[in-house]
Amino acid sequence: MKSKQFILILAITIIAVALSACAGGATQASSWPGLTVDEQYAYVAYNTQVYAVDLVNGTEKWRYPGEPDNNITFYSDPSLSEDGQLIVGGYDGVLYSLAADTGQMTGGNWPFSEAEGRYIASALVVEETIFAPAADDNLYALDLDSNLQWTFSSEGESWAQPVTDNECECLYLSSMEHTVYAIDPVSGSQIWQSPTLGGSVVGTPAVSEEGVLYVGTFGGKLFALDAKDGSILWEFTTEGWIWSGPALDDGVLYFGDLDGYFYAVDAQSGTQNWRLTPEQLDGEIVGSPLVLGQDIYVPSQDGNLYKLDTSGKIIWTQTIGGSLFTSPKSANNLILVAPVQTDELLVALNEDGVKQWSFIPAD
Amino acid sequence: MDIGAIWSTLILDPMINSLMWIYSGLAQNFGLAIIVFTVLVRVITYPLTASQMKSTQGMQEMQKSKKWQDIQKKYKGEKEKLAQEQMKLYKEMGVSPFGSCLPTIIQFPVIIGLYQAIIRALAVTPIQLLELTRHLYPFYSAALLIPLNQYFLWLDLSVPEKDYGIMIAGFAIPILAILVMGTTFLQSRLMTPPSTGGEQGANMGRAMTLYMPLFMGYLAYSFPSGLALYFVTSNLVGILQYGLLGKLDWRNLLPSRKSSNEKSKIKKKQT
Repeated sequence: MKSKQFILILAITIIAVALSACAGGATQASSWPGLTVDEQYAYVAYNTQVYAVDLVNGTEKWRYPGEPDNNITFYSDPSLSEDGQLIVGGYDGVLYSLAADTGQMTGGNWPFSEAEGRYIASALVVEETIFAPAADDNLYALDLDSNLQWTFSSEGESWAQPVTDNECECLYLSSMEHTVYAIDPVSGSQIWQSPTLGGSVVGTPAVSEEGVLYVGTFGGKLFALDAKDGSILWEFTTEGWIWSGPALDDGVLYFGDLDGYFYAVDAQSGTQNWRLTPEQLDGEIVGSPLVLGQDIYVPSQDGNLYKLDTSGKIIWTQTIGGSLFTSPKSANNLILVAPVQTDELLVALNEDGVKQWSFIPAD
Repeated sequence: MDIGAIWSTLILDPMINSLMWIYSGLAQNFGLAIIVFTVLVRVITYPLTASQMKSTQGMQEMQKSKKWQDIQKKYKGEKEKLAQEQMKLYKEMGVSPFGSCLPTIIQFPVIIGLYQAIIRALAVTPIQLLELTRHLYPFYSAALLIPLNQYFLWLDLSVPEKDYGIMIAGFAIPILAILVMGTTFLQSRLMTPPSTGGEQGANMGRAMTLYMPLFMGYLAYSFPSGLALYFVTSNLVGILQYGLLGKLDWRNLLPSRKSSNEKSKIKKKQT
């Protein structure tokens, strides 16, 4: 009898430890780093802190908060406003305005706490307005002093930064509930909702000057939607699910899928120009590619950054380590990548793929 | 193949995909999917439950037997010899001493796997969603199901009840945790025969009946509600299974109930 009870107590202990391990600590990462750049600094939001990193040498200028608080975590790309605010959403449901030059929340800076869900998506700042989608199914429009202008309620969460189209003056919001919304940015009223797209739209759509919206879905399709009414113009079928929005450059859409394929598709007709296979690019492609002129930089789950030309030829492969899920950014002739599952939070390469510096946050 | 991959292939992936497949057939209600899945798991593991029951009953009978009581008297103070004779008697009566523990232990991977499956299937963060995409089987259209509806009755199945429960004076009332504690207590009282292992055994039995519900209640309060829903359903199905076999002893709910063995000991003491 004693041995039976001992085994039972032991088993309870094991299950408690196992479940605790599964739950993980409060600081276990829920996503990958958010990354934004200006001419001088890269701003990286990851886990419990937001960092400003000098682009010249990769040194830390500031971090917020100074001491990590396990209840506040950041993963979305921070957004910069013209008046020097750095807007970053937290998983605690608070949108933070920090002074971009100091990282402090002083003077005109503020926290906005009305959302009831975490901020997974980045906020979009257009002139005097901040559009911030939260995981409570609401899109909040604020002025730069955090005064709420309107709230748009959708049928599901949005995990992607909204995008705007100056010509139409519409705001486009992708939804995890398999649809895209067009919203009047002044009143917050819905202009149209696309038909169901057969899968979640996780990434930010690309918008062409011709008034076409391009969205990738978990249904393994890239859709071209008419920006006037949301109707489907064409669709392109992929091998795997599409996480990020495509990059649109010179009439060609570049994007990858979770099976590791990378595509170049003609934006006008929806026909494939070329594609690379998982044998050529190893690993899931989650982040959007960075297109700079004739160069395409593709981040991959296998920890490699690939540089392609517009014909699909691989120019070089640079192993960063960890996994690359964040879309690369470019500033000051540097290509910046923010890996996960490695010590380095930010790595800067030149256009030949040679590492210039890396940033590892000091404890 | 590392242990993580083996775990995924044998336990986690089948669980995630079963849950999602059931979800797709049940009006996309994840709460109902957990309930149906739990019933299925209990039905599949029924042979283990039955074997556990048989072993427990066998051990009870052995401990009540005159032969065992004679052996205890004969080898009083000779621990090693007593243990040898006990093992002989187990063999003689066809009872496996581990038969009652083993099925319980085998169920633990199911609980841990289910916990992981619920968390992964509900995928409320990008890392979880990306992880989920790696576990899905290709034979059904999982893309149409994602994101799963995480709400059931008053519950948000992806979040611990302490984070959203009905708030009174700043404290979330843990209704589901109370249900888990209640059904765990009920199950252990109804299914555990009164101890025949003497005063020490009885004390330990009482402690387990008290601490087990508290422990399960703590888990239900702290972990996502989907897991707590599994606990409640599993407890109720367990009680029902024992009830159908006619093994429930409602008299165990009475606080002063003692085994016949203990009663006879008390009588002896009094005389």
